[in-house]
Amino acid sequence: MSQSPSQPNRLAQGGQVDRSRTLNFTFNGKRYSGHAGDTLASALLANGVDIVNRSFKYSRPRGIVAAGAEEPNAVVQLGASEAAQVPNVRATQQALYDGLTARSTNGWPNVQRDLMGMVGKVSGAFMPPGFYYKTFMAPASLWMTYEKYIRKGAGLGNSPTEADPDHYDHMNRHCDVLVVGAGPAGLAAALTAARSGSRVILCDEQEAMGGSLLDSREPIDGAPAVQWVERTLEALGAMDNVTLLPRTTANGYHDHNFVTLHERRTEHLGDTAPTRDGRRQVRSRLHRVRARQVVLATGTHERPLVYANNDVPGNLVAGAVSTYIRRYGVVPGNRLVLSTSNDHAYRAALDWHEAGREVVAIVDARANPDGELVERARALGIRVITDSAVIEAKGANRVSAARVAKIDAQLFTLAGRVEELACDTIASSGGYSPVIHLSSHTGTRPLWRDDILGFVPGTLKGMTSAGGAQGIYALPAVIADGIDAGSQAVQANGQSAEPFEAPLVAPIREGESVALYQIPHEKPTLRAPKQFVDLQNDVSAAGIEVATREGFESIEHVKRYTVMGFGTDQGKLGNINGMAIVARCLRRTIPEVGTTVFRPNYTPVTFGAIVGRHCRELFDPERYTALHQWHVEQGAEFEDVGQWKRPWYFPRTVNGKKESMHEAVARECLAVRERVGILDASTLGKIDIQGPDAREFLGRVYTNKWAKLAPGRVRYGLMCKDDGMLMDDGTTSCLGENHFLMTTTTGGAAGVLEWLELWHQTEWPELDVYFNSVTDHWATMTVTGPDARKLLAEITDIDLDREAFKFMDWREGTVAGVPARVFRISFTGELSFEINVQANYAMHVWKTLFEHGEKYQLTPYGTETMHVLRAEKGLIIVGQDTDGSVTPEDLGMQWAIGYDKPFAWIGKRALSRSDTRRTDRKQFVGLKPKDPKVVLEEGAQIVFDPKQAIPMVMSGHVTSSYYSPSLGQGFALAVVKGGHERMGDTVYLPMVDGTVHEAEIVSPVFIDPKGERQNV
Amino acid sequence: MSDVREFDTRPAGHPSAESPLAWSFHRQAPPREAGAGVTLREHAFLGHLVLRGGAIVLDEAVREVLGIALPARPNTLALDDGGERSVQWLAPDEWLVIVPAGEEFTLESRLRQALGQAHFSIVNVSGGQTLIELSGPQAREVLMKSTTYDVHPQAFPVGKGVTVVFAKASVVLRRPREDAWELVVRRSFADYCYRWLLDAAGEYGVSVAR
Repeated sequence: MSQSPSQPNRLAQGGQVDRSRTLNFTFNGKRYSGHAGDTLASALLANGVDIVNRSFKYSRPRGIVAAGAEEPNAVVQLGASEAAQVPNVRATQQALYDGLTARSTNGWPNVQRDLMGMVGKVSGAFMPPGFYYKTFMAPASLWMTYEKYIRKGAGLGNSPTEADPDHYDHMNRHCDVLVVGAGPAGLAAALTAARSGSRVILCDEQEAMGGSLLDSREPIDGAPAVQWVERTLEALGAMDNVTLLPRTTANGYHDHNFVTLHERRTEHLGDTAPTRDGRRQVRSRLHRVRARQVVLATGTHERPLVYANNDVPGNLVAGAVSTYIRRYGVVPGNRLVLSTSNDHAYRAALDWHEAGREVVAIVDARANPDGELVERARALGIRVITDSAVIEAKGANRVSAARVAKIDAQLFTLAGRVEELACDTIASSGGYSPVIHLSSHTGTRPLWRDDILGFVPGTLKGMTSAGGAQGIYALPAVIADGIDAGSQAVQANGQSAEPFEAPLVAPIREGESVALYQIPHEKPTLRAPKQFVDLQNDVSAAGIEVATREGFESIEHVKRYTVMGFGTDQGKLGNINGMAIVARCLRRTIPEVGTTVFRPNYTPVTFGAIVGRHCRELFDPERYTALHQWHVEQGAEFEDVGQWKRPWYFPRTVNGKKESMHEAVARECLAVRERVGILDASTLGKIDIQGPDAREFLGRVYTNKWAKLAPGRVRYGLMCKDDGMLMDDGTTSCLGENHFLMTTTTGGAAGVLEWLELWHQTEWPELDVYFNSVTDHWATMTVTGPDARKLLAEITDIDLDREAFKFMDWREGTVAGVPARVFRISFTGELSFEINVQANYAMHVWKTLFEHGEKYQLTPYGTETMHVLRAEKGLIIVGQDTDGSVTPEDLGMQWAIGYDKPFAWIGKRALSRSDTRRTDRKQFVGLKPKDPKVVLEEGAQIVFDPKQAIPMVMSGHVTSSYYSPSLGQGFALAVVKGGHERMGDTVYLPMVDGTVHEAEIVSPVFIDPKGERQNV
Repeated sequence: MSDVREFDTRPAGHPSAESPLAWSFHRQAPPREAGAGVTLREHAFLGHLVLRGGAIVLDEAVREVLGIALPARPNTLALDDGGERSVQWLAPDEWLVIVPAGEEFTLESRLRQALGQAHFSIVNVSGGQTLIELSGPQAREVLMKSTTYDVHPQAFPVGKGVTVVFAKASVVLRRPREDAWELVVRRSFADYCYRWLLDAAGEYGVSVAR
């Protein structure tokens, strides 16, 4: 056959590429062309590119070895622009598109001649397994230095430094039968299940569905197999109950038949997703599939043989040679030597021969190979050397010869003279490993089968495997097994199966295979040229042997010591060979050695697909109050409180300059203390409690008493966990005899409601009470300050007289014409009214307050000012001044504990434990820095004796600290060991920079200790 | 005061009201695309009540007052003939009633009367949630992107309603008619859900009907 001049290895005919469409691409800065239908790998081979990468550890030149997901070397960095960079792409799985730009991920500064290569050559012998552990362990502090260079030399690609312009998402799917793999078994299984009426998803990782049939020599129904593939896909595509997902890899098989599929929707079209009708398409999608039944039709990976220098470019697995020739019309060389243990690999030689290139010899490890394919090769005049194997490849950047010898696989020695055959390509096959990765993800242990020399999936409810994945290789049997697996899956779902009649495929007579993994060499393994087992991780047979000599006998230990099967490779090509070598060294059998656990992901998944839409402004819900727009328009700075966005402070622009937080907070604080301020308190949790036992229930969950709280009254309550530690606080109002409104902290709302339901449903179901969240229904506006009453009086029909509406009362009426409940409670220490209206009307009420508030200089304030004001009053914030280890007694809140309540409220018993009775517990106090300019650091540690040696005894810490504009100085809240008995003592706070602050222990109430201001 | 304090939170006059999506619509003009695969519409200001109690007593009262049988099967939804009023199962002792704007307080009072001394609770949450209708040929795809619940017509027929995890929020998802889905969304999460829907529907084209 002739060849295309620009693509020296491209055949004039054959394969499924479209030669009329030429696509240009760039690899390592050089321009090439390929055709539509190519993968990047097939196009590189068509162009005669031998070296595609440098190896991970030794930096040896590497070429393309395989044609699918198992490719260990051709791992490239993709993307023409910085924002479009994608690392870790297998060239064998990347469809070619016009303008594709790729480069090798390894090889610094370039793959042809690189610096690390010198290191590899020089130090190769000195880099045994465990090298990193042994060499770079100490001193640990230097690892940061080594790491930079090691990663630069050995990394597997770069992440982009610019934002990704593409969209990614997730899609949740449910089905009766998920079929993974659309080769002969998968197609047959899917068609059977679909005909039976099941909801079927069929996914396949390749560009085209069909699997091994895409390069099969075997006709189906007397026609090329691809025609049967097309017919079957057409039939499936026409059914409503079938979802076909091409370019979709099942990358993880999780518990309960939850399977994650990674669909590459536009990766074959360009390095960023195109638009359709002006709409940016989703580049990559993660399908989260919950399947009732999973059929694994994942096929096999061919095992390469382990011989010396088997990593020199030009060494391929035999099946890949056939794939490149038959599917892509590419012959990856001129002169082929095939080394095999089985009949099936003869296809590579036959295909090579038919492509018009020279097959130098087939080297067969068996004494008397006699299958149909062997006979055909002999009939074509191809030399077949029996009882032998390729023991070593010669060549540096490309194979130049194969050294062949008779071997004794049992004794692991050569059995004859070495013959050197000039060639540029060596294809090898040591048999086939069922792809058991997915079943292994579930934790099922694979089973070794001597008859097929491979592991097959273990058993798992809801999972079947079919065809190659089950160790069935003959095409007619594979199709029959697929039909069978489809039927079984349907029946397992309790439906009746409707199998179809299997197409006609003539069986091929194949001879027995022989077990062959590592090939003996003239020299012992440790002295022979490197015989690679795991090409991606640069693990050699010698490395494994050393590991076993150093006492690593468990296969899991060998894996970790040598890094065999690590990372993105997950042992696809090398694992069985590695186990066989361990077995040889330890004189065990492979099943005795066992297999390592394969983990998700089967092939790398781009972070975009994992994250989906949960990024940028959709990373986490932002909860807004009904007044959010007003806050935004006023230029508020926001603070995250749980998922809520709360105004933090409202900076004003004064003389063209925006206030700092300190300035804004000082202004807001004084406005509340001197005139009137307003806070959006809508985020407070609110729980409506109804039922005849509501009051009793409150008495059990709160530490204080609720028996006598009359309708119209409000009470502050503390809630403890059963360990006696404070979990939440808030006020609860009696709305009616059987009706209460509880408030919780903003962050604690959901947790408190769950807590109430938990105790009601599990402990006290006999209490007649219901809880409902009304947090979002009510908007809450706190009007507070000396002028609060005057302002509110202008727009309400509620009698605000101090005797008619006392502190800790609530009243209902209208505010700005809107029905409102107003609560006279105070978190600032000032006269306060908390106005609650239905949230849809909140903006109207808020704006009306500001219309009337102008003459009082009504000042909006945020959470920072709220914190300062409440701290000046010594009012705690749960979660800031407490941390789950603080009891109400530690807080000095004995006044809020009903020790003599008839029913033991939650946490009561815990308060009599010896630990909670200790007198040296950390207790809640105020701290007044000796230097009024000092604002202590929150979290700062407190010591009693600043002169003691380090490590000092830490006796407390600061929980809240601010500058108080009202006091004109810094102040803090803290917990100090035995603090309640230490009033007036001086404590010390040593800081990181060596300074030591002094502070006096004082009452936590800094302003208006008698509470006169809130009672006016 | 009676045992439970009833309170009509809807004003008698006409102060301006803002729906939970008011800010979302204000911040960015809602998209209106020709040939959109997905259409969103907020049904704001409806009356929302949560009923809790025993199924048998509630059923009797709801039939009497609203003329709708209380859906007894989990995750089902019952509508009146006009489709304007609905009762939805939320939990073994919890139902969501949605009625046209302004009906909720009268309904609550009449239900309380009908229920008499039985143990139950009725809570008005009309200000706390809103209803977003989702329609169009790709509406189901958008839901598949948003919730793990199976929304295939076989698994989610008309008349079903389920509390589901939606993106990172919790919403009530229901299918009142063949051609529309409804999301009952909490007020504070409404903007997040809305932005999520616009983003997820972006590839199909999306319109917001007002």
